[in-house]
Amino acid sequence: MYKNKFVGALYISPFIIGFVVFTAFPFLASLILSLTDAHLQDQLSDAHFIGLDNYGAMFRDATFRKSLSVTFLYVFLTVPLKLAFALLMAVLLNFRLRAIGLFRTVYYLPSILGGSVAVAVVWRFVFAGDGLINQLLHHLHLGGVNWLGEPSTAMFSLVLLRLWEFGSAMVVFLAGLKAIPSDLYEAADLDGASRIRQFFSITLPLLTPVIFFNFIMQIVQAFQEFNGPYIITGGGPMKSSYLLPLMIYEEAFKYFQLGYASALSWVLFLIIAVFTALAFWSQSKWVFYATENPNGESRGE
Amino acid sequence: MSMANWRKYWPAVSVTLRYGALIGVGFLMLYPLLWMVGSAFKNNSEIFSTVGFIPHDPTLEGFRNGWKTSTEYTFAHYLVNTMKIVIPKVICTVISSVIVAYGFARFAIPGRKLWFALLMATVLLPKSVLLLPQYLMFRQFGWLDTYLPLYVPQAFAVEGFFVFLIIQFMRSLPRDMEEAAVMDGCNSFQVLTLVVAPVILPAIISVALFQFMWSMNDFIQPLIYLSSVGKYPVSLALKMSIDVTEATSWNEILAMSAIALAPSLILFFVAQKYFVEGVTSGAVKG
Amino acid sequence: MTKISVRLNDVTKSFGGHEVIKGVSLDVEHGELVVFVGPSGCGKSTLLRLIAGLDTPTTGALHIAGKDVTYAHPSKRGVAMVFQSYALYPHMTVEDNIGFALKIKGLAKSEIKAKVARAADILQLTPLLKRLPKALSGGQRQRVAIGRAIVREPDVFLFDEPLSNLDASLRGQMRVEIARLHASLGATSIYVTHDQVEAMTLASKIVVLNGGRIEQVGAPLDLYRNPANLFVAGFIGSPRMNILPVTLEAADGASATVATPQGTFSLPRTGVTAAQGENLSLGLRPEHLHLAQDDEPALTGQVLLVERLGGETFAYVAPDGFENQQLIVRLDGDHAVAPQDRVRLSFDPRRAHLFGEDGAALGRTEA
Repeated sequence: MYKNKFVGALYISPFIIGFVVFTAFPFLASLILSLTDAHLQDQLSDAHFIGLDNYGAMFRDATFRKSLSVTFLYVFLTVPLKLAFALLMAVLLNFRLRAIGLFRTVYYLPSILGGSVAVAVVWRFVFAGDGLINQLLHHLHLGGVNWLGEPSTAMFSLVLLRLWEFGSAMVVFLAGLKAIPSDLYEAADLDGASRIRQFFSITLPLLTPVIFFNFIMQIVQAFQEFNGPYIITGGGPMKSSYLLPLMIYEEAFKYFQLGYASALSWVLFLIIAVFTALAFWSQSKWVFYATENPNGESRGE
Repeated sequence: MSMANWRKYWPAVSVTLRYGALIGVGFLMLYPLLWMVGSAFKNNSEIFSTVGFIPHDPTLEGFRNGWKTSTEYTFAHYLVNTMKIVIPKVICTVISSVIVAYGFARFAIPGRKLWFALLMATVLLPKSVLLLPQYLMFRQFGWLDTYLPLYVPQAFAVEGFFVFLIIQFMRSLPRDMEEAAVMDGCNSFQVLTLVVAPVILPAIISVALFQFMWSMNDFIQPLIYLSSVGKYPVSLALKMSIDVTEATSWNEILAMSAIALAPSLILFFVAQKYFVEGVTSGAVKG
Repeated sequence: MTKISVRLNDVTKSFGGHEVIKGVSLDVEHGELVVFVGPSGCGKSTLLRLIAGLDTPTTGALHIAGKDVTYAHPSKRGVAMVFQSYALYPHMTVEDNIGFALKIKGLAKSEIKAKVARAADILQLTPLLKRLPKALSGGQRQRVAIGRAIVREPDVFLFDEPLSNLDASLRGQMRVEIARLHASLGATSIYVTHDQVEAMTLASKIVVLNGGRIEQVGAPLDLYRNPANLFVAGFIGSPRMNILPVTLEAADGASATVATPQGTFSLPRTGVTAAQGENLSLGLRPEHLHLAQDDEPALTGQVLLVERLGGETFAYVAPDGFENQQLIVRLDGDHAVAPQDRVRLSFDPRRAHLFGEDGAALGRTEA
């Protein structure tokens, strides 16, 4: 609308400055750091350039391998489960229900609060030896489980926390569902398609853009989960819940291995980037975009 | 005859089933929070013995002791600290996002497509890869153990998602009002502040609310930048309490957790609409 | 006896406490194109949806081709519907859209292909079979929607305002195509519209609905010549019939005399059963009024406004003595008439209509 290019540039100059200073520069710096043996408590000028040694060390590092496998387990468990559950609840909620606002609030609330320390703290109590879940189990005369103390179950508490936060994905799915015109379902009724058939032939294909969006958001978030492991399990026991972001933090701020931690953060970044790129590349195969409004002009009556 | 007429009754049956499932899941969702609030009002021995969330002998003991905290500051001090971080953060975010969004939405900027692509890239960029260099940078500035690293970047629209939200909103506005204002003699900044900003207020509120929530929950940033306990926001204070407090004073910790969540809860209930629209407008239109 | 394709028996429908369809009984014969017409909110779309099975009646029964389908599933009633918004599946090609129902039924792929090809041929869609709906024009999408219905070979076709989303010129074209299609397929069709021109031109039988009730059922010309009440008289025919308030002076078996501020007029009508002095409504269609010859009994008035359309001219006349009334007269295109002119308007008494206080038509003429 405005023709003055200089003024325009001025308007977005905060972003340009911010991008260069707080995004681009740190981004490149972390790559360079990963090629050094920088130590947090020393000056940067004392660091030496060691090439790809950090990356090599990584693959010999059993802790890293454990952390990596645990992280993948976490992501591959939570993302599909969370999306499926969010979609299921959105489908359940999607009808002329007067209390829809109430239910939506109830389900959405945990995802708003979930990222907070308070919830993580509560979660730790819920899963503690004499915490809520074990009390419930005792009530039902089932034995208690040492959730946070057993390597096999510690991860479970983190997975459950993330699933509990399905609300935001559900709200997005709901909006996508509502955007599908109801007369498509009526036409399908007349054509003889069962409800289930309609879900797979009409609802899912038309939801693919929303599924795509949610999928990417969830993957990017899941790989970067920090609060849970740090506060609830401390990464243990025996590193069974030692997610990568926690490892990066400890390497940098506990063991002061800045170079190694940077290399780890770059590996994490590359993993996320690969998944994101794969998702984008696969779009054309499975995501359907209805770019035009198929209903034409406004209705007469 | 009843088999042929089952279609008449099916709606009622399916509605009942739906409600049943919805209520069941809803209860499960809320239970941890209810338990938290209920336990905050119990004394410690009761927390360990009962499953229900309604206390038999409600007591404010948890709140009283928790408020004092086992440090030299009361919980109020930590709450104020949180506000000292969150409020500047929200203000900086809103102002910079609106200004940058206006630039993208209404100006013919050289290289616009490139800058917009970079903006979208920041939305997807995993922030963990920037954490360490940013720490070093702020150390270089001498900003460690201050609140500056927590909100200064926001003044430079680093949160691409918010800028994007506002751009979308602006794009859906007809330009007539702005063109009329220009004809009335306003420069672009006046148009933005006097004409556009009031109209896009819902989007601005959404941005402010989201940033408020996210900042209240922010943990890792304060964790790495703040070292003096006196500067701790609530998130760090809570974490500290579970390290320090003996294992049995749960009611204190849960009480403080409840208080920590209260502002977010209240805000959420009051302004739900904006949360929902904020999340969905990015997804469905995007 | 002609086969009855669709029979509605005292059907009612309520939403919440609100009754939308108030007791409708109707027979549709095999091969007819019946048009449901009426103003917004009259219930015509609701009625169509009841026949389609997308809603079920609160009370009453519905039979299609002899079977009781009141509560049957939409796909098991032998009906196919063309939706107002076309409801094409946006992610499927034209070919898949048309063939979807056949796929559900489980027909062999070759059979589906053949049937779809035949339907596409009838509707001239063959070059578009591989396209997606978003790459089609409004008229093309509508034909796909029709194709989807044809291919199922239903007992009854249902059309829900199919032309209202098209622009005016396209509407006229598609109207002709639908008429041609019905003529060649001979299938029973129920067509809903609010446009009385579509109703008049397409229907073998029109059902006029108002407020959930049937006002009149009949052939188009029947409704035009013998509207059963004021509502139908005003709805059918464009511009609207002129209605003047008059009182009954006298009525014998063969004629009725009405009193107006301009004197009395005698109309040849049989069977007028109103009392003397009763307030009646005199109905005169604009096309049945003409400028009076010198000796004809006429209404005098002053021209308020003239609309010239080239082929015809409409004059708005304020008749003397009547308060706040206006008569619209249809005149020849070349007629020289201007506002402020004083005119004398005459009419063929056999073409006049008479309605009682309750709005119902009184008596009959042979015209």
